Amino acid sequence: MSLHEPETPDVGETADGTVDYDELAALLGETAIDREEHINAPAFVVRPDEVQEALSVLHEEAGFDYLSNVTAQQYADRYESIYHLKKYDDPTQEVGVVVPVPTDEPVSQSAEAVYRTADWHEREAYDLVGIEYDDHPDLRRILLPETWQGHPLGRDYNPEKPQVVPFRKHENPLQPDTRGEGADADTMFINIGPHHPATHGVLHIKTVLDGEQVADVEPDIGYLHRCEEQMCQQSTYRHQIMPYPDRWDYVSAGILNEWAYARAAEDMADIDVPEYAQVIRTMSAELCRIASHMLALGTFALDVFGDFTAVFQYAFRDREVVQNILEELTGQRLMFNYLRLGGVAWDVPEPREEFFEMIRDFLDGLPEKTKEYHNLITSNEIFQVRCVDTGELPPEVAKQYGATGPVARGSGIDFDLRRDDPYGYYEELDWDVITEEGCDNYSRVLVRLREVEESAKIIEQCVDLLEDWPEEDREIQSNVPRTLKPDADAEVYRGVEAAKGELGIYMRSDGTDKPARFKIRSPCFCNLHTLREMTEGEYIPDLIASLGSLDIVLGEVDR
Amino acid sequence: MLQGAPLPERIIELLPFGSGPLGTAIAAILGAALVGTLMMSMTAVAGPWAKRKVTAAFTDRYAVNRLGPFGLFIIIADAVRLLSKELIVPEGVDRPAWDLAPVVLASSALLGFAVIPMGSGIHLADPEVGLVYVFAIASIASLGLVMAGYASNNKFSMLGGLRAVAQNLAYEIPLVLIAASVVLFSGSLQMSEIVARQAEPLLSLGPVTIPTWYAFVNPFAFVLFVIANLMEVGRNPFDIPEAPTEIVAGYQTEYSSVYFVLIYLGEFLHIFLGGAIIATLFLGGPAGPGPESIGLVWFIVKIWAVYLFTQWARSALPRLRIDQLIEVGWKGMLVLSLANLVMTAVIVGVIA
Repeated sequence: MSLHEPETPDVGETADGTVDYDELAALLGETAIDREEHINAPAFVVRPDEVQEALSVLHEEAGFDYLSNVTAQQYADRYESIYHLKKYDDPTQEVGVVVPVPTDEPVSQSAEAVYRTADWHEREAYDLVGIEYDDHPDLRRILLPETWQGHPLGRDYNPEKPQVVPFRKHENPLQPDTRGEGADADTMFINIGPHHPATHGVLHIKTVLDGEQVADVEPDIGYLHRCEEQMCQQSTYRHQIMPYPDRWDYVSAGILNEWAYARAAEDMADIDVPEYAQVIRTMSAELCRIASHMLALGTFALDVFGDFTAVFQYAFRDREVVQNILEELTGQRLMFNYLRLGGVAWDVPEPREEFFEMIRDFLDGLPEKTKEYHNLITSNEIFQVRCVDTGELPPEVAKQYGATGPVARGSGIDFDLRRDDPYGYYEELDWDVITEEGCDNYSRVLVRLREVEESAKIIEQCVDLLEDWPEEDREIQSNVPRTLKPDADAEVYRGVEAAKGELGIYMRSDGTDKPARFKIRSPCFCNLHTLREMTEGEYIPDLIASLGSLDIVLGEVDR
Repeated sequence: MLQGAPLPERIIELLPFGSGPLGTAIAAILGAALVGTLMMSMTAVAGPWAKRKVTAAFTDRYAVNRLGPFGLFIIIADAVRLLSKELIVPEGVDRPAWDLAPVVLASSALLGFAVIPMGSGIHLADPEVGLVYVFAIASIASLGLVMAGYASNNKFSMLGGLRAVAQNLAYEIPLVLIAASVVLFSGSLQMSEIVARQAEPLLSLGPVTIPTWYAFVNPFAFVLFVIANLMEVGRNPFDIPEAPTEIVAGYQTEYSSVYFVLIYLGEFLHIFLGGAIIATLFLGGPAGPGPESIGLVWFIVKIWAVYLFTQWARSALPRLRIDQLIEVGWKGMLVLSLANLVMTAVIVGVIA
């Protein structure tokens, strides 16, 4: 399998840059046994033993190099895995691959051989829904404990049944832990986390060390699994789901997450959003991005500097200002719950001048602060020695793992949904997508720092717009029915550019006011998967730095 | 007073026990207790209070301000808190090495102060090989680190212990080499002699006379020594054996309660001992404006200046990686300190 993109124009692409699904169907030939219409893009139905064939055709020949998400679900008569494919060059070109398998024998071929990111996605599908994947290199539970009985998102799962697991079945934490044989036996196994100063939450990294160097790492996630998908499936579209996204990436990226749900649901139910509300959304989302990137910067500095030092506090000081602005706007500091389907909850606070003044004060002070960060962090020679050329993630590998956000852009992948798959008001505004070619920890930090400046540009333009917006035209919400019941069997997958990368939502409606399947594509989940590639052969401090540079939030990884 | 008899001998004269073995012993213990108490109380101020205040000042915060003036009584509160905690002895630790390590750490630093002339007549002993003694005794701390790391039965401690050895090996040698260049100037290993030599005037600018402090005579050696000292005491950017974000707390991961206090104390004493060595070798010891009797004040000011420098570095600099540190040590510092030694030898040989 070649990792290089095909150089000729992709098959199945029309001259104006949209997907020609008939041509794709011809390309797939007999592998595609049917075609489904999803709201975001058509999907081809593929036999469970021809998954790899279909996907590699789409990857190699049609140029779909980005496996955005894998959704698994159970219908009354079958299981289904849906592979959502996109292109890094143009994420509006989408196609789905639907793989139905019978209920009595839920075995489907693994896509891991074509897209490495499928490894974790399929483990999750196996864990939560119960589909087994043939040829999967390591099909184990990923979010739930190894000893869990049943698959909670399956239809026959009985949540009332107690999970009785005898103690002896649990893995013994004190078992002998030298791994390898012969010459490899002098490696040392060490648990970094779940309680460790640098894991940014409850993450457990099973690490094999050869001296000070990392021989192997395996992130063990799921400590913060809170059944977010299931909770959303039990909530109504109109009001009950919106508070949950705040709790995925809970460190100040709330509105970005809310937007992911809002975008998916609005596309599904065909709801328009007034332009005025889009501007407010754009502004508040970018404020969240600044807050989130500040936190990422501060905690990364914490990992590299080694203590709660000046940089950490400065980053938090500046984040605090953003939090205050967001508190003025939404009434909350973390769990904003500000977006509504079809708009936002309320207009900017009165007196408007004072609120805009607050934002402008922050924006005016920002260049000086950014300069300070560059002085203190990025131009510090020790910092450069530590971060340049460590934790390298080449672009081809990043694409294989479905990396997005600053992690992808730090590897030189020019991919940003705000520009490539426009939503909100971004298209009308003047800003740039930041990329760095270094592929290392340093680039990822630099990307975030520079993105803060771009976000500031966006916010400034939004404030200008809002200030001049005619008073009679300030519509904050469109008319949305009190009870939202999208058409039965409508399926949609939509992503937005959250602080950490593409945050996607898949929803399937069964005609009721609650989604039949609600799947979250978490950017942190996919980005964390790259950790192993980044850190093999590096030193322990670089492992910690790489983990910090990924900027994961475990609430979003585990959902 | 500066060149007066060591402190115990003058205590003997004040006491009614005569100058026999008993009198000497009592006087020595009293003198040592005085110096020890002084250093420990400085540590008490530096650890729970000054460190917080200094870091807070660097990071735009207030830090402790609730108990007593400037929050000073937090020292008492913290002492009570730390001492009343449960001493957890993990399963499988290698006793008594595990119990001895904190004692070794704290006492090795404390013993070093025996030969430091602190001014105002406080100078416990003045052996001819004072400088060698102080380096020898300070490097016993490495032994304590290895004991702590190895005996804790914890992999993070183990890594910390190994890092500590690697780091100390890489920095002892440059440190001693730079000190040797000072000895070339002073022509003596005796601490009082080194201090006395620095009292001579270097040049006079009107009313201001600049003394021949070796920091002025050889600033290059001074800078090198300050850096090497930072590595020796293991503060940022060289706090690699502890490295809180990487290996939890390194060799001290498994220590709690009193043992933790001892290790903490040992670390701060080491910073102060480093400061004392720098002051003695490069900053004229207790010398300063005013009468000689306030020499102790100047000495403490110099120690605290070095302490503040370590805190500044801690707040502002990222930590190096262990392999990079070893590289800087063996390829950079060692070469520079050798060059410094040769240069000094040439200068001293030609001029003198």
